[in-house]
Order: sequence, then C-alpha cells, then structure tokens
Amino acid sequence: MGARRKAWIVACFLLPNFLGFVVFTAGPVVFSLGASLTNWNLQRTTPTRYVGLANYVELSRDDQFWTYLVNTAYFMIGMPFAIAGSLFLAVLLNQRLRFTTTFRTVLYVPAFTSGVALMILWKALYNPDFGPINAVIEAVLRTIGLGGLEAPQWLLSTRNLFGLDVERLGVVREQFGLGARDALIFMGIWTGVGGGNMLLYLAALSNVPSELTEAAALDGASRWECFRNVTWPQLSPTTFFIVVMSYIGGLQGGFEQARVMTAGGPAGTTTTLAYYIYTKAFEEFQIGYASAVAWVLFGVIFVVTVLNWRFGNRETNLL
Amino acid sequence: MNDERRGTGNKGLNAAVYVVLALVAVGTMLPFVWMVLASFKPLQEVEQANPVPSRWVPGNYREVFSQVAFARYYVNSVFVAAWVTFLTVLTSALAAFAFSRLTWRGRDATFQLYLATLMIPGVVTMIPNYTVMVQLRLLDSYQGLIVPAAFSAFGTFLLRQFMLTVPPALDEAATMDGATPWGVFWDVVMPLARPGLIALTIFTFVGNYGSFFWPLVLIKSENLRTLPIGMMYFDSLYGRQTNLIMAASVMSVVPPALLFVLLQKHLVRGIQMGAVKG
Amino acid sequence: MRVFFVAVLALMLVWTVVMGRLGGESVDPGRTPLVWTSDDNPLRKEQVALFNRLHPDLNLTLDPANQGMEKVIVQSIGGVGPDLFDCRDANQLSAYVKAGIALDVTDELRGMGIDVLGETWPAMRSVAVHEGRVYGVPTNIGANALWVNQDLLPRGVVLPSGAWTWSEFIALAQRVTRRDQSGRVVQAGLLFDWYNWPHFLYGFGGRVFSSDGTRCVIDSAEAVQAVSLMQDLVYRYKVTPSPVEEAGMAGQGGWGAGNINLFGAKRGVFALGGRWWLANLRKFDGLRLGVVESPHGTRREFGAVGRATLVNANGPRRTEALRFLSYLASPEYNGLVNDQADGICAFARYAQGDAFEHNPSYPAEDFNLVWRSVSARAVAPESSPYVNGQLANRLIERQLDLVRIGQKMARDALRDAARDINREIARSLDEDPALRERWEAARGPNR
Repeated sequence: MGARRKAWIVACFLLPNFLGFVVFTAGPVVFSLGASLTNWNLQRTTPTRYVGLANYVELSRDDQFWTYLVNTAYFMIGMPFAIAGSLFLAVLLNQRLRFTTTFRTVLYVPAFTSGVALMILWKALYNPDFGPINAVIEAVLRTIGLGGLEAPQWLLSTRNLFGLDVERLGVVREQFGLGARDALIFMGIWTGVGGGNMLLYLAALSNVPSELTEAAALDGASRWECFRNVTWPQLSPTTFFIVVMSYIGGLQGGFEQARVMTAGGPAGTTTTLAYYIYTKAFEEFQIGYASAVAWVLFGVIFVVTVLNWRFGNRETNLL
Repeated sequence: MNDERRGTGNKGLNAAVYVVLALVAVGTMLPFVWMVLASFKPLQEVEQANPVPSRWVPGNYREVFSQVAFARYYVNSVFVAAWVTFLTVLTSALAAFAFSRLTWRGRDATFQLYLATLMIPGVVTMIPNYTVMVQLRLLDSYQGLIVPAAFSAFGTFLLRQFMLTVPPALDEAATMDGATPWGVFWDVVMPLARPGLIALTIFTFVGNYGSFFWPLVLIKSENLRTLPIGMMYFDSLYGRQTNLIMAASVMSVVPPALLFVLLQKHLVRGIQMGAVKG
Repeated sequence: MRVFFVAVLALMLVWTVVMGRLGGESVDPGRTPLVWTSDDNPLRKEQVALFNRLHPDLNLTLDPANQGMEKVIVQSIGGVGPDLFDCRDANQLSAYVKAGIALDVTDELRGMGIDVLGETWPAMRSVAVHEGRVYGVPTNIGANALWVNQDLLPRGVVLPSGAWTWSEFIALAQRVTRRDQSGRVVQAGLLFDWYNWPHFLYGFGGRVFSSDGTRCVIDSAEAVQAVSLMQDLVYRYKVTPSPVEEAGMAGQGGWGAGNINLFGAKRGVFALGGRWWLANLRKFDGLRLGVVESPHGTRREFGAVGRATLVNANGPRRTEALRFLSYLASPEYNGLVNDQADGICAFARYAQGDAFEHNPSYPAEDFNLVWRSVSARAVAPESSPYVNGQLANRLIERQLDLVRIGQKMARDALRDAARDINREIARSLDEDPALRERWEAARGPNR
C-alpha cells in the first residue's frame, strides 16, 4: 500500500469528524482565547482592541468571580453522593431478580424528562410553607420533640451547610443552615443517581467475572468483603471515568437551574461560573471578560483533571 | 453463579433489595406522576396542595396544541435530534476507526486534543460558534441547529473505546481475504461495535432533544422552534400556565422514552464493553 | 450495516424534503412581509391584525421568541434581524443605538407629523429619544397605581380620590390585613413586586444616578427611606407577605403565580400594579375592582414601564417599517391599546374623552382617569452613559434580594450597591478615554 493511498484512507475516515471538530470546537476555543485578551464589548464606543491580560487581572479582583467560583465548587459536594447512589442502585439491579428491566427504565426516567418541568416541580416541592419536603421535615421535628425548630426556607434562603458568607469569601455564623444552594444539591443528587452513571455501573458490574466473587465467597469472605476486595477494584476504571466526567460536568454546570429556578439568587448565592459567563456575555455584552472567565474555568478543570489522572491512575494500578 | 444456592440462601436479602429498589423507584417516579397529575388540573388548582385534580381537564392537552404550534415544535425537535444523532454516530464511528484501527503520524496527539476539548465549558464555544453561524449564513435554520452538534469529540472517544475491544485478529483475517479498510470498517468493526453505536445513539438523541441554549440563541422563526423553546411560551410575564407546561412536558417525554425502551437492552450490553477499557 | 446506514440516510433525506415542504409561514404574494419582534402578550395579535387590515399591501407578523436584546442585536448584525423591534428602556435604546441597529427616524417622523417629544407622556420619551435624536415611537405606558379589591374593604372606608401618602396608607393596610392563628397571611393588605423598587424610589424623590449621569446616588437618604419602607411594609408593618409567606400563599406554590393571580384570587386587598394587569384580571369572575392613586412619600411621582418600537437600520424594508411607526401614532392603534388595557396609550391626547373614560364593553371600569393622572406623573427609568444598565440593575437587585429576605438593612444594601456601580463606572472610564473625556466635561470644571 503506497503512502499516498494510506494517507488518503486515513483522511477519508478522519476528516468528516475532524473538519467539523476544528470548525465548531477547536476553532472556537482558540477564538475565545483570543477574545479573552481583548476589550470586546458590544456596548462601548471605542473599537475592540488587544488589552493583554487586563481581563484576567480585573477578574482576580472581582469579588463576584470568586464567590461564584466558590458556589460552583460548593455545588459539587453532591457529586460523590450521586455517584455512590448510582453504584448502590446498580449493585441492587445487578442481582438476578425479576423486573430489573422495569426498574432500570423507571430509574432512568429523570434523564429524559424535560429539565424545565422538573425544575418547576422541585420549586414546588421546596416551598417552605406548603411544600411536601418541609411537611415531612416538620413532622419529623415534631416527633422527635424539636417542634420549635424552624424548617429550612430552601430556595429563598442564603444559608448553607458551611455557613459561607453571601457577599464575600468567608464563613459567618448566621449563614449556617439549609438554603438555596443545598436545595439545588439535593435536586442534583436525585437527578444524578438514576441517570447515565447508573447504567455505566450496571454495565461494568455485569462484566465482573463471577468466578472471582465466587472464589472469594468460598474463602469465607462476607458480601461486603467480596464487594470491597473483588468487585470495587474491577469497577475502578469505570469509577474513574464517571468521576472525571462528573466534575467536568459539575464545574461547567448550574446554568439551567439558575435560569429556571432561582435567576442565580437569592443575592447571587446560586450563581455558578457558567451562569456568570452567560450573564456577562449575553446580558451585559462584556464578551472579552466573559471569555476570560471561561478560560479560567477551563484552567481549573484542566488542573483538576491532570491531578486526578495521576492520582486516579495510580489508584487504578494499585487496586 | 449457582442460582439455586442464591435463591434459597438469600430470600430475605432479595426481599430487602426489592423493597429498596421499589422505594427508590417510587422516589424517582413521584415527581413524574405529580407532573402527569398537574397536567390535568385547571389552572387555579395547580397552585393548590391536592395532588389529584378535583376536576380533570384533559382539555389542557388540546390547549397546548391550540395556543402554540406544538405539533410543529414536536416534529422539529425529533427531526433535528434525529439528524444530529445520525451524523454524530456516523462521523464519530469513522473517526473512531481512524483512531483505533489505522496507524498514522500524529494520531495520539490528535486524540489528546479531542480529549482536552471535552474539558472546555460549552459556553466558551457558544459565542465563536455563533459568529461562525453568522459567517455561514446558518442563523435561523435547521442546518444551524444540526451541523455544529454533529461532530462530537465525546462520541469519537466513546466509540474508540468500543472499537479497541474488537479483537484485531478479526480484521487482520478480513484484510488477508482482500478486504479494503472500507470493507473492514463496515463488515467487521461496525457490526461488532454495534452496542457502542446504540449507546451513543441514545446519549446523543436524549442530549440533543433536550438542548435549550443553542436553539434559544440561534432560532428566530416560529416554525423552527424546538420543544424546549416552544414551552417557554407558557411561562410568560402575562401569566404562567403551569398546567400547560406540565402537559407539554408529559408529551415531550414520549420520543426519548420510546427510544430508550426500544434500545435499552443493547445499551447495557453495549456500555460494558467500552467501560472496561475506561 | 452498510445497508442500514444507507436506508436511514435515505429516510432522513425524504424527511428533510417533507420538512422543506412544510416550509415557513405562508407568504402572501403581492403583500410585503414585515416582522415585528415584541413580547408574547396575547394582545399583540389583535394589534397586528388591525395593522394588516389598515394596510392591505403589507403583511405584518409577530415574532415574540426573539425579544431578548442580545438576540435582536446579534441577529440584526447577522442580517436576519426583524424589521421592527421593541425597546423597553433607555439602557436598551442606548445599546441598540451603539450597536448601530436602531434607525434614526427623527426627520422621517417629522415629515409624517409625529412629534414624539411633544405628544407622548414625559416618562416615555427616554425610551424613544437618545441624545436628542428620535429612534422610535412609544407604544404604551404602564404606570403604577393601587388596585383595590372592593369586596374586601370594610364598610365605611373611604378611599382618597387624589393624593395620599404611605403613612396614611399603612394604617389602613394594617387594618385590612388578615392572618390565621398560626400567623399565615390569609389576606394581604398590600401586594407589590420588588422589581417596582423605582416606584418607591421616585415617590421619595430618590434617583439611581445623579442628573448628569456621572455618579450612582442610590445610597442617598431619599433612596434609603424608600427601600426601608419596602422592607418595613413586609417586616415591620407586616402588610405585605415576605417571600416565604408569598410562596406559601401561592398554595403548594413556588409556581411563580405572581401578584396578579394572588390579587385576582382575592388574597390581597391592595396591589401595586399597572393597567396592563387588566388583561389578566378581566379573566377572573366576580371581582369588584377599584383603582386609586398609589400612595407616595415626599413626592407625588410614580414608577412606570413602557415600550417603544424601533426600526432595524439594517433591515431591507425600512420604508414599510416606517408605516408601522405611523400606525403606532394613529388614533386607531391608541384606541385599541386603551380598549385592550395594554397599559394606556402612549399619545396623551388619545387618553381622554368619553370613550376613554367609560369603555362601553367594560362599564364597571370607572377608574380610567386615575391611569391618565398617574401616567402624567410617571418618571422615566434612568440610565447613565457611563455604565451598562443591565449590569447596574443586576448590582442593585442583588442587594435588594438581601433586603427583601430581611438579611440586610436598606442603608447598607444601597451603600454597597452604589459602591459597586460607581466602581463599574470608574472601570468603564479607565477602559475608554473618549468616555472619560465626556464624563469629565459632564462633571464640570469645578471638580
């Protein structure tokens, strides 16, 4: 086979995707890097020009950027729980039981229900006064004799589990509690448990050779030991994949929730970087600045991924 | 595994598993059921605490169609998602073949570039992509909705993982018999990667069908609106018609649900091959 | 496999052909199409129909899906913009003008005998006129007054027929607010939306920007007084439901039911709103509605919203679009706005006379003169050339969020808002020397 013919074959297979990839992904990425070095702003009278790292300098002094970065990170607290939940469900579904097909479908329902409708629904569930969630909480509080405690105000409150302050970085006492951020986290766990991650785990589980678990069981290992020492290590490539994809999604997320449920409020507590980028670019037209925020976000994701890659791969090899 | 042993030894455990699964399933379905019930309520009642409508209003469903061109949005959504899915699967499969089966200079570097772009927030590419659409004169068109979404780095990554699990001995044998790479692709690798193709089909369809932001900025004409955009009409400054939003949402679940139910068995078998390679 | 893919492709192509046949909106040959981007108010349909009846050679269609300012701008720059689009305040107008998509129609309007500055409500001018040039025609005005559920008023209460102050109002509102044993609001004394903060601000003579626009002055004593009142209505006088109570009132709520629906459901005795509420309130049965002037603080001025329609400077049918502007100034259109209760008409001279005061279709609505009077006293939303209006609003509303949930005092919130906005002004000046020159000139030599 001649070299030219070989190149031609590679091109035939690669190019349909690669050209689109360059035009719609790689190109725009480079473009936005360029934009982040300009003062591009549809509302200004001066022409767009190169401003060097000015946007990045400005951003480092922008209190809002830092609080929204913290918000974004805060929202990822739910991630391990969602992943653990997915795994748990997958393990249950992997038992040889009847109706697993039905269960599988039912548990996947949140993945293809319209996000907007679900969010309206959750907003109702979180109603502080009449919502079912607080009804349950209040009943429980009364039962255990703590009826005097106030149930959370969820989406209307700036409180949060860590007591993060609203307008600046830091922790203050008044902000301890449950509020909008936590409400979104619980919603995220609910949506995340049964989705694609569960399916990925299910697939990985059915691929664990049964001889391994059986051998361990014969050696007298308990079910938990079997899982911990045999199944879990087998799952680690899948776990790694899911973890990476989850935090990439998490760091980029929060846009729809903010837009539909909270408008980023109260007082910006549910604004994530993705929503901030949107606001800056599409509502305030500071496109250069928005691009800079986006690139910092990319930097964060990249660093975390590289760290995770090293740590994660070592973990995989060890197990 | 010895099913008999398990059946006798773990009856209690199995029952517990059923209970837990049922509870979680109820937890998952309850909001959905609530959504269905709310879709049958009169508007005043949507705001009240009773989950079951006191008066059933199936007319909400008719109303959805009469207030907006809902049928058209429906067709648009499925049409766009179908094209995107078809093109994504096809181009990703071709590229995945190049990344997994062919050897060429710069292959691994190119692949790493693909992986890196997965980490870039979607909003980053939004503005430049919009500019590209302006240049290509694809604003406010089906092509504008379909084309940028049809070349997926994720799909290429996923299918590459699947193709790596197809034993190379098979296509070597085919090549010996005189098959061209084109023939190997279609007759050997693709059939064996079918589970992966199905997985990608579902992920792409479900993802694109629900996409909100890109159509929001791109589409202008009413007759090109997709469902997520069309549904915004029921939630305006002049009154939110929650009952109609719910009715529209219930109806919009049908196509992806149908697709999932039809393909889910293959999906599960499919992922297991790719996932192991991680 | 190959066969399968080819079959799917064939299927998709056939489908594509079918979709192509479905085509766009039916185009009427012989009639020039015109596209108007406005909001999704159902009343718009009739306004479009009337225009098409009056202009048989044109075919105007409404495009509500693209009303976002960012969409209008990028689409117009991209060459697929509408012929006509709406503008909601001075900030938007300046953005449209700077983006170069708003057509300067000063001379054309003069030629048609339309005097926007002289004939429309004072509050409406800044939405159509930018730095002395006219870019559009105002469509309507929605000034705030006080809606009254007359059935809920105790006997013997006589409402003022003219001006009254918040302190006079509060005693009455407290009297009519009802709560159940557990303290939940059964019937609110006053319903108001926090986005109406400018209404309170103007009622106390406060402003967002100094008159030359060079500084944000929302931390003034007047502004603090206004916003403190908003907070006090909720937490001190307890006549307005707090966010939590409001969510509770919407039943299992959080449905964004909004104050219009709460008021329509008789959950409030008074509500601050515009005449445009009628479009919804007319749908509720058994309401006995009244309207009185809104209470004020130190100054008898009110907040208002409004729109103007502009012509796309890049549009291919600008001449035809101008005929729509002339329609907006016509008695037919202005009369329709009054009939539909899409606020009241923008041209003051059509908001009078018997047909305006007593609409035969709605004989119970005997309060139209109140709308006229508050429209005349309405203050236009402000803007400053030195800071992005969207940004300034976001910074203010972020602070007001904290006031609204009772976490921050008005004084502190407004001080921080002013600080943030002034910082943004400084930042724009740093980046734009031409703007700084202008700013320095505006501040005068003594600074």
